[in-house]
Amino acid sequence: MSADEAVQKPPSNPDLERGTVNLFEPSFTACPQPVYRKLLERCPVARSVVGDGPVISRYEDVVWALRHPEIFSSEMDIQVALGTERPMIPQQIDPPAQTKYRKILDPRFSKRRMAEIEPEVRSAANELIDRFIDAGRCQFNQQFAIPLPCNAFLSLMGLPQEDLALFLELKDGIIRPHVGMEAPDAEACAKVRVATGQRIYAYFEDVIAARRAAPRDDLMSYLIEVELQGERLSDNEILDICFLFLLAGLDTVTATLGCNFAYLAANPEQRRSLVADASLLDGAVEELLRWETPVTAVPRLVKRDVEVNGALLKAGQMAMLLLGASNTDDGEFGNALDVDFSRERNRHLAFGAGAHRCLGSHLARMEVRVTLEEWHRRIPEYEIEPGAVPTYSAGIREVQHLPLVWKTGA
Amino acid sequence: MKVRVDSQKCVGHGRCYEIAPDVFLDDERGHCRIERDEVPPGQEAAARRAEANCPEGAIEIDDE
Repeated sequence: MSADEAVQKPPSNPDLERGTVNLFEPSFTACPQPVYRKLLERCPVARSVVGDGPVISRYEDVVWALRHPEIFSSEMDIQVALGTERPMIPQQIDPPAQTKYRKILDPRFSKRRMAEIEPEVRSAANELIDRFIDAGRCQFNQQFAIPLPCNAFLSLMGLPQEDLALFLELKDGIIRPHVGMEAPDAEACAKVRVATGQRIYAYFEDVIAARRAAPRDDLMSYLIEVELQGERLSDNEILDICFLFLLAGLDTVTATLGCNFAYLAANPEQRRSLVADASLLDGAVEELLRWETPVTAVPRLVKRDVEVNGALLKAGQMAMLLLGASNTDDGEFGNALDVDFSRERNRHLAFGAGAHRCLGSHLARMEVRVTLEEWHRRIPEYEIEPGAVPTYSAGIREVQHLPLVWKTGA
Repeated sequence: MKVRVDSQKCVGHGRCYEIAPDVFLDDERGHCRIERDEVPPGQEAAARRAEANCPEGAIEIDDE
């Protein structure tokens, strides 16, 4: 092959001879399905090139791990990596303590609750579209996928929309601290994370004080007033919940929107079937979650030696449960590689399963559904700008570069 | 056709009451709630579909 072809040939991932997989390189996040297929068929328990921990792919193995938090624990000491001072609540806590927090948080994130803020999210989506529809083009990530979830998050929490830019800055300070650095290194990044973490705690401390003085009908006030077994939450508990919400509620939905629109822009027949038939919407939301699985994997700390699919996992290892792979497991999903908006059986794991089932799943679904409705009502025909290649971040599958173009009336 | 829900297994994915709202309801928490164990006539396919889409396997359909 030519030098040009060689450069474009993707690296060997997974490396089946060594039984390793690289989950952090951009070509994996851009197109993970072929990697999943190889792992499922040839290496259902692989080893991560980063950290050397086990990577579990089969649906039945992943779901088993998710349902056994006493073996696959979420209590991991990664404060340094996140700029936090304490574990985030309830994500980094195991049952039974975790269950108690979920009991008081679940009602605020139920499907019914999300219906209450749906009109605001719909307005926000349309306002964002208003800004670029006549231009016939947009940078989907920057002009839609990033601001919409932030807007929804601020509404839900009861925080001012004016704080949108600040929130994105705080979130990025934790998740991508290297941006803007000339020569990023681990120490410099850690410093930014710690400093940002302090700013996040300070921000929410101010809001707690303000809501205590003047309660409102919002999530912040609820966290202050709600009782857990007869006692209110401590300030630290409230901060540890807010920190999690900031990190968990933004990038994930941005990634979901980006992956969905990259897919729909590149697959016009599928998109047109959805535009033509609104009854496909619910199935499409779930099928796109299954196919794209924007949060490809979740980590769990192995608490005791255990055998998974013939492989021996050792206590102390950090396992990656590869949700994206389990979502394309033929053993669970017939014709797993077909994207079928009418799929009958779709018990996908894009939001995890078991005790840590994503608290924000109904919020995310609502945002995605509203976006699919409003965007296609106004811009049913669009494509990726000819010549452009969407780029995906490493880690969560955020589509950082997704220029979309369409014909305008003008 | 009878339906049973294991509330211990339910974690609130919400697929059941989305797919078959005439069979499954949501409680305050967003977990599954059923008012009667008999599936209303005409709702059999929807009930089966809900069972097939629960990632926790919390729903059991009994065809009698």
